Amino acid sequence: MLALRIKDKQMGYFFILPAALMLLAVIIYPAIYSLKLSFTSESEALYSLTNYAELFRDALFWQAFRNTLVFVGVVVTLHLVIGFSIAMALNTRIKARLLFRLIVLLPWTVPDVVAGITWKWIYDPVYGALNDLLSRLNLIDAPILWLSDPKLAMASIIFADIWRGFPFVMLILLSGLQAIPRELYEAAKIDRASGFQSFRYITLPSLKKIVGVALALDIIWEFRRFGLVQTMTQGGPGHQTEVFSTLIYKEYFQFFRFEYASAIAVIMSIILLSLSLPYIWMISKE
Amino acid sequence: MKKSTKWLLMSLVTVFILTAAVTLSFGKVTLRFSDWHMGEAHWLKALEEAKVIFEKQYPDIKITFEPVSYGEKETKYITASEAGQAPDVMHLHAYSLAAFIEKGYALDLTPFINKEKAGFLDAWYALPLTLCTYKGKVYAMPGDYMAQVLVRNTELFMKAGFDPAKPPVTWDEFLEYAQALTVDRDGDFKVDQWGFGMIGAKSPGFELRFSPFVWSFGADYLTEDMKHSALDTPEAAEAIKFFVSLYREYGVAPPGATAFGPFDVRTQLAQEKVAMNIGSGWTVPIVDSINPELGASQVLEYSAVPVKRKAITSAWLSAWIISPNSKHPREAWEWTKFITSKEMELKWFRDASVLSARQDVSGVSLEILEDKHAKVVAYELAFAKFVPQIKEWPEIIDAVTTAVQEGLIGVKTPEKALADAHKRINAILAR
Repeated sequence: MLALRIKDKQMGYFFILPAALMLLAVIIYPAIYSLKLSFTSESEALYSLTNYAELFRDALFWQAFRNTLVFVGVVVTLHLVIGFSIAMALNTRIKARLLFRLIVLLPWTVPDVVAGITWKWIYDPVYGALNDLLSRLNLIDAPILWLSDPKLAMASIIFADIWRGFPFVMLILLSGLQAIPRELYEAAKIDRASGFQSFRYITLPSLKKIVGVALALDIIWEFRRFGLVQTMTQGGPGHQTEVFSTLIYKEYFQFFRFEYASAIAVIMSIILLSLSLPYIWMISKE
Repeated sequence: MKKSTKWLLMSLVTVFILTAAVTLSFGKVTLRFSDWHMGEAHWLKALEEAKVIFEKQYPDIKITFEPVSYGEKETKYITASEAGQAPDVMHLHAYSLAAFIEKGYALDLTPFINKEKAGFLDAWYALPLTLCTYKGKVYAMPGDYMAQVLVRNTELFMKAGFDPAKPPVTWDEFLEYAQALTVDRDGDFKVDQWGFGMIGAKSPGFELRFSPFVWSFGADYLTEDMKHSALDTPEAAEAIKFFVSLYREYGVAPPGATAFGPFDVRTQLAQEKVAMNIGSGWTVPIVDSINPELGASQVLEYSAVPVKRKAITSAWLSAWIISPNSKHPREAWEWTKFITSKEMELKWFRDASVLSARQDVSGVSLEILEDKHAKVVAYELAFAKFVPQIKEWPEIIDAVTTAVQEGLIGVKTPEKALADAHKRINAILAR
C-alpha cells in the first residue's frame, strides 16, 4: 500500500514535470535574467543600482506609473460594475438567455491588438464611425479628437478596454451567481425579504470570494495591458497615455536600453506580485 | 497480385521516393530571409520572382521567406538575435541600423567584400555606405536610397485654380497653397479636404517628414560633435512653431494628426482627403494599391520639398544585414549580394518604384532618369541628409516627437515643448 502511494507520488511529479520545465524555460529563466540585467549597466562592469536610481529620478517613469494606476483603477472598477450588472441580468430567467450570453461574450474573443485597431478606426476623426454618427445626429459640429485630445485620449482607451474586458469579469461572476443555491432565495422569500435584502444578505456574501478572484486577476491583466494602448496611441499624444507596458516596450525594443527596461519591469513585477498575494493566499487557503 | 504484396510494394516505393528526396535535399542550405516588404503584394511578387532566379543560379541554396511587419521588425529581430535565432538575412532601415551594429546583431561583411573584385563597393553612393560602416568595417549592404519629396494631387490643384505644373517652392507658398486646398467640397459647411497630410504619430515615418522642416529652417537636432542637443536655436523654435501652426492656427491638416502614421496619411491622399503630403518613391504604388480608381501614377506629381533658408530634405535608406548567428554566412552573403545586384535593384524599381543606393542604377539608368516620379526623387538625393546615426537616436527622436505632439495638442507652447525636448536630449546624451 505504502509502495503504491510512493509510486503515486512519483507519478504526480512525473505529470507536473513538463509544465514545471515549461514554466522554468519561459517564466523563471527570463525573470532571473531580467533581474540580473536590471542590476547591470553599459557603463559599469559590476552590478549596481544605477538603473533603479535613474528610474526614481525619471519623470516619465512616474508619469507612466500614475497613468497605469488611473488606467487600472478605472478599468477594473468599471469591469466589476458592468460585469456584475450584466451577470445579474443574465442570471435571471429571460428569453433567449443563451443568445444574450453569447453576444455579451463576443468582445472577450477579440484579440487585444485587433480591438485596438478597430477602436482606432472607430475613433478616427476623418473616417471614424463614432464622429460620423454623432454628426448625423447633429450632436457635434466638428469632429471630436478622441485619441488626440489630451483630456480624452486616456478615457477613450479606457472605454475600449472596458468594452473588451468586462465579459471576463461577467463570466466569473455569472458562474458564482449560478453556484448560489436557489433554496437560499426561496427561504428568503418565505421570510418576506425584499429583493435588496436578498441581494445584500445572500448574493453579496456568497460572491465575496469570487469577486476577490475576479478583481485580482483583472488587476493583474490590466496592469500588463499592452496591445490595445500600443495600437491606439503608442502612449501618446505626448506621454498622456504612457503606461508601464508601453514604456518598457519602448525602452527595450526601440531605445535598446535593455537594462533600464528590465529595471522598470522588475518594479512592475513587484507591484503585480504584491497585488496577487491576496489571490494566492485565497487559493492556497482552499 | 495479393493485396498484402501490393501494400508491400507500395510501401517500398514510398520509402524509396522519400529516401531519394532526402538524399537530393541533403547538402542543400536553407536560408531564412526576413523583410517587411513581404506584407505588400507587389513586393512579395517581386521577391518571389527574385528567389526563383537565385535558386536556379544557386541550386544548393533554398530561400525561405519570413515576413515581418514594418513596425514590429526591430522587436522581432532583437528578440531573435538575443536568442541566437535571428533570420540569416534581415532588412532594416537607417533608423535602427546604428543600434543593431553596436549591439552586435549584424555580421561584419568586410571579409566577404574583400574577396569580391577590387572596387566592388564603388557602385554604391558614398553616403549610404558610411551608414553601413562602423569603425572601418562594413556591417550592412545598402538597399533603397531615396529623398523625401512633396507629393501633390494635380487634380485637386487644378480644382483650386493652381497650375498643376507649379508646385509651392517656399514654405510660405506651401502654406498659401495648403490654405486654398483646405475646403468644404460637399457644401455642408464642414471642411472635408485639407491641404496637407500631416504625420504626427510616434512612428519612424515621423522623422522623415518632420526633418525637412527642421533643416530647411536652418536648424538641426544635434551639435556637430553629436554630444549635445542643438534645438535651443531660434531657427529650431521657428521650425516647430511653423509645423504646429499648420495644424493649430491654419487648420490645413486633418484633425487628429497625432494619431496619424504614414499609412493613415497615404489613405487620406488616396481618398483625396488631403492634397499634399511628404513622401517618396513608394508613395505612388502604395496609394495605387489603396485606391486604384484614383490613378495615382497620373494624378500624383512629385516636386522638391519647400524651402525656407536651405534647400534640404531627408534621406531614406534601407539596408540588409546578416545575423552573426547565421550557420551559413557565405550563402547569406551570396543572397545579399544578389538582392543588391544591379539587375535586382533595377527590378525593385520596376516592381515597386524604389530607388537604389547603387549609383550605377539610380544615377545612370534611363528608366529611372526618364520616369516622371523617380527622376525627382533621384535629383533630390543631392539635397538629402540623414538624421544623426547614433544609437541614442530613437530615444532622441522620441523626445522630439513628444515635443511636437505636445505642441499639436496644445498642452505646451511649441517653445516650451521644444525647450523640454532640448533638456531631455541633453540628459540622454550625458548618460
